[in-house]
Amino acid sequence: MQSNETEYGIVSRVDRDTHGVAIAARGLRKSYGPQAVLRGLDLDIAAGEFVAIVGRSGCGKSTLLRHVAGLEQADSGTLQVGGEARRQLHANTRVMFQEARLLPWKSVLDNVGLGLPGDWRPVAQAALAQVGLAERASDWPAILSGGQRQRVALARALVHSPRLLLLDEPLGALDALTRIEMQGLIEGLWREQGFTALLVTHDVAEAVALADRVVLIENGAITLDLRIPLPRPRARGEGDRAALAAFEGQVLQRVLARDGEASA
Amino acid sequence: MKKTSSILLEKLVPWCLPVVLILGWQAGASLGWISSRVLPAPLDVGSAFVRLSASGELLDHLKISCGRAFAGFAVGALVGLLLGFWTGTSRLMEQLLDTSVQMVRNVPHLALTPLVILWFGIGEEAKLFLIALGVMFPVYLNTFHGIRSVDRQLIEMGRAYGLSRWQLFREVILPGALPSILVGVRFALGVMWLTLIVAETIAASSGIGYMAMNAREFFQTDVVVLAILLYAILGKLADVAAKGLERRWLRWNPNFQRAGA
Ligand SMILES: Nc1ncnc2c1ncn2[C@@H]1O[C@H](COP(=O)(O)OP(=O)(O)OP(=O)(O)O)[C@@H](O)[C@H]1O
Ligand SMILES: [Mg+2]
Repeated sequence: MQSNETEYGIVSRVDRDTHGVAIAARGLRKSYGPQAVLRGLDLDIAAGEFVAIVGRSGCGKSTLLRHVAGLEQADSGTLQVGGEARRQLHANTRVMFQEARLLPWKSVLDNVGLGLPGDWRPVAQAALAQVGLAERASDWPAILSGGQRQRVALARALVHSPRLLLLDEPLGALDALTRIEMQGLIEGLWREQGFTALLVTHDVAEAVALADRVVLIENGAITLDLRIPLPRPRARGEGDRAALAAFEGQVLQRVLARDGEASA
Repeated sequence: MKKTSSILLEKLVPWCLPVVLILGWQAGASLGWISSRVLPAPLDVGSAFVRLSASGELLDHLKISCGRAFAGFAVGALVGLLLGFWTGTSRLMEQLLDTSVQMVRNVPHLALTPLVILWFGIGEEAKLFLIALGVMFPVYLNTFHGIRSVDRQLIEMGRAYGLSRWQLFREVILPGALPSILVGVRFALGVMWLTLIVAETIAASSGIGYMAMNAREFFQTDVVVLAILLYAILGKLADVAAKGLERRWLRWNPNFQRAGA
């Protein structure tokens, strides 16, 4: 936990209070039938870092995330999480999907407590309070709004105090205002709990607003790795907004440049 | 004022036709238009009910019939449920069993009655076997389909959240399949009564069906009609109970929430 140096000698940002895990992927390859999705992908993420993955639809963002989650096995290459090869699901990792995936037959509180051992109710209740839904504990998920469901899903993920949180477009289906609210919530909880966060998003502005680094996947590999050295919390004040917009422009320009090449 | 009276009217309207029919039936019988050999008067059916209840005969037959129905149902539903769970959760078992079950289910189970009587005689086993067989298929089919139609994303989520195989089954797969299983159960209850009626009418020395067949020999049409009504009421009660289960177990489902409120 103290030394977050990976085997590959990349020194991570050594936060003394982080409990996140480092990720190292080397030459990751994955094909589905004839279609090669990951083609020798390399990626290093320091413990406690917040990394956003962007890329065009179908470029393999979710596939990469599922590998890191242990839901899927690479054809070749190595993937290490917290210094161990990731071959299967691991209790230190939690995933938040694009859909909330709440069990409709369980109350909100029971959903948050899913898979928790022992006397879990107070713990689950506390997690619900963190996302501001303490008083909805006994409701059925069916009557919650989309944003509230995602907040429950976030509570369900964080109640396990994961060392790695994987987010696959968790805010994609939400309206703009709810989205900004949720971004603030995620950033706040990340700062508080110090897990490593890997966020897949199609929204470059969101990536830039939340992440320490934005990486772009193209043709099954990482083609852009941009550090966003802005102070937190990124309150979206006047100054911040200009800086964020500049970074966003940089990423977009890169994506679009490739588009131009492709169509030329 | 106007509003409450219109609500009352709305509740009464569906009952108008049955009441008029029964009154007409009673009138026709009293005036001698309908021979009691064909159809007894409603009042006669009522008095047959009182007579047989008082002698305790009715209750005995009723107990025996219900006992058969539920014993057969319990066995058939359990077998169907377990088979459904098994084929639903294991590809191997599906390949091994499902095709055979699908083929066998095309045989109407009542067509087996002569064979079953040959095997078991006309004792209780034959009736239990027929009921269990009839109940098994709808429960099996709906359990299997229920399990197969559980949202894959929820199962993946359960796995990603570290649920064990048993937990996954109990927390995700079973509740997800429950709406479909309950549809199967309701259907199976209908099959249960139908099979019971056939089995008791063909070969029995007790039970409501026996009571009806016995009464037929003595031209007691009032008892025959009473037996028919009892079957109808039992069927309705079983359906109401099944609906109650749906409302209780599927509270979370918006489709059942209005009914549950
Ligand atoms: N289980 C699978 N079987 C076959 N093909 C798959 C499978 N999973 C993903 N793919 C294919 O791999 C490619 C990458 O899929 P992936 O879901 O990773 O894309 P993505 O970058 O997340 O896209 P989006 O932004 O639309 O979510 C797609 O072409 C998809 O069809
Ligand atoms: Mg995706």
